[in-house]
Amino acid sequence: MKFSRCTLRSVFTVCVLGSALLPLRAQVDVAAPGLPTVGVSLSGPLGGGATEIVSADLRRTGEMEPVGSSSGQYLATGVAGDSGITAQLVNKRNGQVIFNDTFTGPGRKSAHQFSDEITKAVTGLPGFATSRIAFISKASGSKELYVSDIDGFNVRQITHDNTISASPAFSHSGAKIAYSSYKSGYLDTYLIDVGSGSRTRIAFFPGINSGPAFSPDDSTIALTLSKDGNPEIYTISTSGSIENRITRTRGGETSPSWSPTGDRLVYSSDDHGAPQLYISSSSGVTDMDQLYTGNSYCTKPDWSPDGKSIAFTARVSGQFEIGSFDLASRQGHLVTTDGGEDPSWTRDSRHLVYSKNGRLYILDVVTHKSFPIELSVSSCGEPSVSR
Amino acid sequence: MNIPRLALLVALTLAVAACSDDKNNPNYGGMGPDGGALPGSDNGDKVGNGNDASGGIPPTRPADGMNPDKADYTTLSSDTVYFDFDKATINGDERTKLVAVSEWFKANPGHALFLAGHADKRGTPEYNRALGERRADAVREYLVGLGISADVLYATSYGSDRPAIDGDTEEAYAKNRRVEIGVVVKQ
Repeated sequence: MKFSRCTLRSVFTVCVLGSALLPLRAQVDVAAPGLPTVGVSLSGPLGGGATEIVSADLRRTGEMEPVGSSSGQYLATGVAGDSGITAQLVNKRNGQVIFNDTFTGPGRKSAHQFSDEITKAVTGLPGFATSRIAFISKASGSKELYVSDIDGFNVRQITHDNTISASPAFSHSGAKIAYSSYKSGYLDTYLIDVGSGSRTRIAFFPGINSGPAFSPDDSTIALTLSKDGNPEIYTISTSGSIENRITRTRGGETSPSWSPTGDRLVYSSDDHGAPQLYISSSSGVTDMDQLYTGNSYCTKPDWSPDGKSIAFTARVSGQFEIGSFDLASRQGHLVTTDGGEDPSWTRDSRHLVYSKNGRLYILDVVTHKSFPIELSVSSCGEPSVSR
Repeated sequence: MNIPRLALLVALTLAVAACSDDKNNPNYGGMGPDGGALPGSDNGDKVGNGNDASGGIPPTRPADGMNPDKADYTTLSSDTVYFDFDKATINGDERTKLVAVSEWFKANPGHALFLAGHADKRGTPEYNRALGERRADAVREYLVGLGISADVLYATSYGSDRPAIDGDTEEAYAKNRRVEIGVVVKQ
């Protein structure tokens, strides 16, 4: 029941647009409903700003339509002040108070927390308004690591190394970021505690140590090591000890991403020519299961939190586009038409944050609508969304 | 009569193939990290179940004084090796440059070489890092084949982050798909 709304709209969208794309999700033969409407009205000293934040958050989900306070099937009201937001959500059809809660996150975060609670109550899906993005920006003249909220606010520069920082990955807890840097002169992988800023170099084998990805329980990191003479996928503990070798080819393997259950990894390999996507067990060298996406050049896969899809970067006619591979039907399709690379899923498995020409965008893979994320820094790339 | 002879020929061919394969893919295994500061240890490569053996010669890192950022990339700049798009194989014309490098190296004892691999921007950043590394590894193997010890050849990769030429022309791309050879005094 929870996913049927999304499913219906997927089918609906495809039919309406007359698109050649196949609906890849399960199909239910019922007329597509309109979006639930939510009246948002917060009062108090910070009420105006909070109303704007929550309305933008709800609209970004693609699952709800925020409307004026007097209308809407749901009514989100409360008081926003310096110490947070006390707010409630009412189902106007029956007058039922769905929740009445206090959100104490600092600054804009309390409004995002309220948004995620509304999203969960109305759609059953996890909201991602409280998510953050780790990314690389060259705005300072060298590639440094930054974080921001997913709506583009609260940009913070994490590294000031005057070298090349690369391939950041948020831990699932959101407390740590793993990334790679040439700080030592070599491409090594580091772990940063986002709160304290403390940094530990965890992988510095001879050769490259790059492209880290946290396992679902954050205990293990998959990455590329070339210590054997060419780039292979390995898993290591967060303290840097080798756990498993995953690949053994003459080509190069990069950009591992974990299945939500942690038992498998998807990655890119060019062992048979141009790079393609493969899935392997995360517990040792096994057969490589190739994903035939329909594109001759596929890199940078990201496994969706619901486990159903793998987003990737495809090279099409000399340009990068974002693709999505459906694991049930084993079919791939493009979800952008005017460029994009390095996709990263949000919690709801419906949106992708990606980069294009130095800007970050957020894409709704159901409606195919994409919006730029307005950031205070330019020359951005390699985004990773916190889950 | 013919069958045993054919079998012998096949066996010999396989044996030669296996030998040359082994020569190109020495089983070093279990290289530890530099500095010795990593907790835990490499617990050894698990044996695959039919996958190809991984090619290449395991890399090394030099003593701290020989950092790639301090290497001299001008002395042998005319010997920069260029590659085809999305390829890490060294073309025939480029091999003569490496012969020149090996001759320079033998005539100038007391040095070590950094081999800095690069890619053009027509790849995703992380893929390009691996591609640059594979190019540097290919040059390293070729120089080993010319008689230079692998212990004084240090491969590194900058992916597409340090282009020789900015721009979106085919000419710029061609100049950026390269391995630069940096000289350091051996310590």
